[in-house]
Amino acid sequence: MRTKLLAAAVAVAALGGASLEALAQTKPDVMVAQRQAVMKLQGKYLGPIGAMMKGAAPYNADVVALNATFLENLARMPWDGFDPSTKGEKSKAKPEVFTDTAKFKAAADTLEAETAKLGAAARAKNEAGVRAAFGGVAKACGSCHDGFREK
Amino acid sequence: MGAGETQVKVWDVPVRLFHWLLVLLFAFMFFSGKSGSEWIEWHMRAGYAVLALVLFRILWGFAGSTHARFTSFLAAPSACIECMKHLLARKPSPYPGHNPLGGWMVLVLLLALLVQTGTGLFANDDLLSNGPLYDLISKATSDQLTMIHIWNFNLLLLLAGAHLIAVLYHAAFMKENLIGAMFTGVKRLPADAAGGVVARFASPWLALVLLAVTALAVYLIVKRPF
Ligand code: HEC
Ligand code: HEM
Repeated sequence: MRTKLLAAAVAVAALGGASLEALAQTKPDVMVAQRQAVMKLQGKYLGPIGAMMKGAAPYNADVVALNATFLENLARMPWDGFDPSTKGEKSKAKPEVFTDTAKFKAAADTLEAETAKLGAAARAKNEAGVRAAFGGVAKACGSCHDGFREK
Repeated sequence: MGAGETQVKVWDVPVRLFHWLLVLLFAFMFFSGKSGSEWIEWHMRAGYAVLALVLFRILWGFAGSTHARFTSFLAAPSACIECMKHLLARKPSPYPGHNPLGGWMVLVLLLALLVQTGTGLFANDDLLSNGPLYDLISKATSDQLTMIHIWNFNLLLLLAGAHLIAVLYHAAFMKENLIGAMFTGVKRLPADAAGGVVARFASPWLALVLLAVTALAVYLIVKRPF
């Protein structure tokens, strides 16, 4: 009886492990679609704040707080999608993403740091702080695109 | 000045100012377009100036001085072939205005600049900067126009290069100083080169009015106050 239970437990554990393995092996084309989706969502939540910064829309502290918080979380999501297995996929990522990994990682870290600042200022309803932090976020997006993204 | 040559004023002030302003702005558009997100806002502002200038030059091609007019420099194919033969033989064949090939080049350059600025108005950079007419079309269409914006620029570089080489060819092999003439407005020509045509010069005030009209048109396109 004991040995049967043990065997069952081992089998379940093995199965569980296997299914985890399968999950980790997301197909490269799916990974590309997912990282692009995160990028698009970053654009979705950055855009309205940008319009407010330019004066094209009235400043709304609640919208800024919500968007900046989404952005702060999104900014941590794209990077595991730039997996080496996606190298051959059709995408706008430049080869440098996979050769100059230290610099790419630094650019990703910069975005995470800048969006954290923006999120904190936005949740504190500190408009001056939001204005000060926004430029850093926009620059973090732009300078990574300049170096690592095909036109 | 050689025997039988005269100094003839051919380019009016609006044509010369247009030309050199365009050269400066084109260099800036090149730089600011390729420098990425830091310069994109200035790229767009300077682009509006280019658009206003190009539209002005097109109007001036109908209403301007003799040698600024399309009717005066868009020549028949036979004249182009003749001109080509002279060029290849390095036989001087001075024209008061543009030579027949150069005339068509003016039109091609202006059209390519219209495509460039026109697509720019609808372009996007997937970040915070969209052309002022981006809102009117879908993202997919904007992406296509952005690609045309990028590729047409390569065409413009090619055309500008050909233009420059042609002018230098004239200087090196035909002893014609076309560059100086675009600064001073004056060409040194054989006495009979004009073929009896006397250039008429349009009022600079008319040029100012037309430029104001095109600048206003661009302002309205960009701001869309209605
Ligand atoms: C560390 C580098 C990096 C940073 C930082 C970055 N991006 Fe990207 N982004 C990329 C790369 C690389 C691609 C191309 C991805 C692909 O095609 O697979 C991309 C693509 C995009 C796209 C196009 C997605 C699509 O396929 O339609 C958008 C939109 C975008 N990014 C927005 C943003 C915004 C907004 C920010 C800042 C909040 C940002 N990005 C920050 C590297 C970055
Ligand atoms: C003669 C005029 C113009 C020239 C020579 C020019 C040239 C360029 C060049 C060289 C680029 C970079 C392309 C690349 O990445 O390789 C660019 C990008 C761009 N231009 Fe222009 N441009 C002109 C007018 C305009 C105008 C009028 C606008 C809009 C107001 C505009 C908006 C844009 C935008 C939004 C981009 C960014 C595209 C991207 O990042 O993918 N341009 N342009």
